[in-house]
Amino acid sequence: MLDKDNCEEKTDEELVALTIGNQDFFSCLVDRYSDKLTRYIMRISASTREDAEDLLQEIFVKAYRNINSFDQSLKFSSWIYRIAHNQVISQWRKTKSRPQVIKFEADEDFLKFIANDEDLALDTERKFEGEEVRHLLDELDEKYREVLVLKFIEGKDYKEISDILQKPLGTVATLINRAKKQLKKTIKEKGLEFRK
Amino acid sequence: MIMDNLGDKVLKKIKEECICPKPRWQFLLKDYFIWFLFLISLFLGSLAFCVALYVLSTNDWDLYRYLHTTLVGHILISIPYIWILFLALFISIAYYNFKYTKSGYRRETYFVVGLSVVGSLFLGAFLYTLGAGEKIEDFVAASVPVYEKIACCGARKDIWDQPAMGLLGGEIVNTSNGENFDLKDFNGMLWQVQETDDTLEYAPLDIKIGEQVKIIGEEKPDYVFWAREIRPWKNKGEARKARDRQERE
Repeated sequence: MLDKDNCEEKTDEELVALTIGNQDFFSCLVDRYSDKLTRYIMRISASTREDAEDLLQEIFVKAYRNINSFDQSLKFSSWIYRIAHNQVISQWRKTKSRPQVIKFEADEDFLKFIANDEDLALDTERKFEGEEVRHLLDELDEKYREVLVLKFIEGKDYKEISDILQKPLGTVATLINRAKKQLKKTIKEKGLEFRK
Repeated sequence: MIMDNLGDKVLKKIKEECICPKPRWQFLLKDYFIWFLFLISLFLGSLAFCVALYVLSTNDWDLYRYLHTTLVGHILISIPYIWILFLALFISIAYYNFKYTKSGYRRETYFVVGLSVVGSLFLGAFLYTLGAGEKIEDFVAASVPVYEKIACCGARKDIWDQPAMGLLGGEIVNTSNGENFDLKDFNGMLWQVQETDDTLEYAPLDIKIGEQVKIIGEEKPDYVFWAREIRPWKNKGEARKARDRQERE
C-alpha cells in the first residue's frame, strides 16, 4: 500500500504520470480533489451530499479509465472539473430532470463575491442573508449559475473555465458578463435593500 | 475533509472490478479520425466550390437579352444552387468536426467557419484551375440521371431548346454540306444550320461530328436555322468570324 505522504510534494501532473505506472497513486489525486468536487457538484446540481458522493465515485473511476487521454497542455484540475461537469449533465439527461432549486452550501463564499465584485458593488450598499443569496441564485439560468460558481467560488480563471466548459474564452467572458447583468436585474426586481 | 476514505474506496473499486485505463492509442486514433473527417469535409466542400465556379464561368451571362428577362433574373436562374448547398453542407460538417477536435472548443465560431470557408474556397479555386470542375460535373451528370433535371445542365438544355426565340442547342451529326452542318437538337429533331460570313464562332469550337454546340440565330422554315453565333457547349473563349476558320481549313 502506498504511503500517502509521498504524494504531498508532487504536482497533479506528476501524480497522473505516476498513476499510469502504479494505480495506487490515483488515490492521492482522489483525496486531493474529493472535497472540492463534492462541493462543486452540489453547487451546480440539486444533488444531496450522498448523491454527490456517489456521482463523485463515478467521476473518479471515469477519470482513471481515461487517464491516458489527459492533455498535458491542461491543468489536471481543469480536466477533472470538466469530467465532473460532463458527468453532472449526463446525470441530468439520464434522470431527464434539471435542478429547480439549488441548495447552496457556500453562501458565505458567494456573499464575498457579491460584496467584492466591482461591477456589482458600484451602486448598492448591501448585506445579504444566506436565504436571499440562495433565492437569487435560484433565479439565474443554469449556464449563468455554473459560470459564476466556477469564477467566483471555485476561483477559476477564464482559461480554466474555458477548458472546463469547453467553450472559447470570448464566450466565457460573455457568459460571465451576462450572468452578472442577470444577477443585478434580479436584485433590482426583488427590491432588496442592502447594507455594507 | 468530506470523505477521508474516498481515495481508498475508488482504488478498491478499481482493483475489484479490474478497471484498466484505456490505451493511449485509442484516444490518438479518435483524434486523428476527427481531423481526418475535418479535412475530408474541407476537401469535399472545395470540390463543390470548384464545380460551382466552373458552372458560373461557363454560363452564358449575355443570354438574358434573348430570354426576355432582366440580368438579375438571369443571374438568379443561373446560380448553381445545388453546388452551393453542398459547399454549405460540407463547411458545416467541417465546422462540427473541428469543434470536436481536442482543442477545437478554444476557437470562436467565426474563426472555425472562416477557416472552413477560406480553406474550401482556396482549394476549390486551385482545383478549378486544374480543370477538376468540368470533370466532376461530367462525371456527376453521367452517373446521376436526376442531376441534369435539378442542376444547371437541365436548365441549360431547356434554355437552348427555344429555336423560335433564336436559341438552339444540340449535337453536330453531319458536316459534309460545305458551310452548313446538320444538328440534332435535344428533342431529336434534325436541323440544317446555315452559317454566313458574319457568323461568330467562339473558341475553342470544333465543327465536327459529335460536337455539342449552342447557336444563337434565327429559325427559318423547314428546320433551317441561320446562325449568327456558334458557341461550344461547355467552354466559351474569344469570338472569331466563321470565314476565318473556313479560310484556314
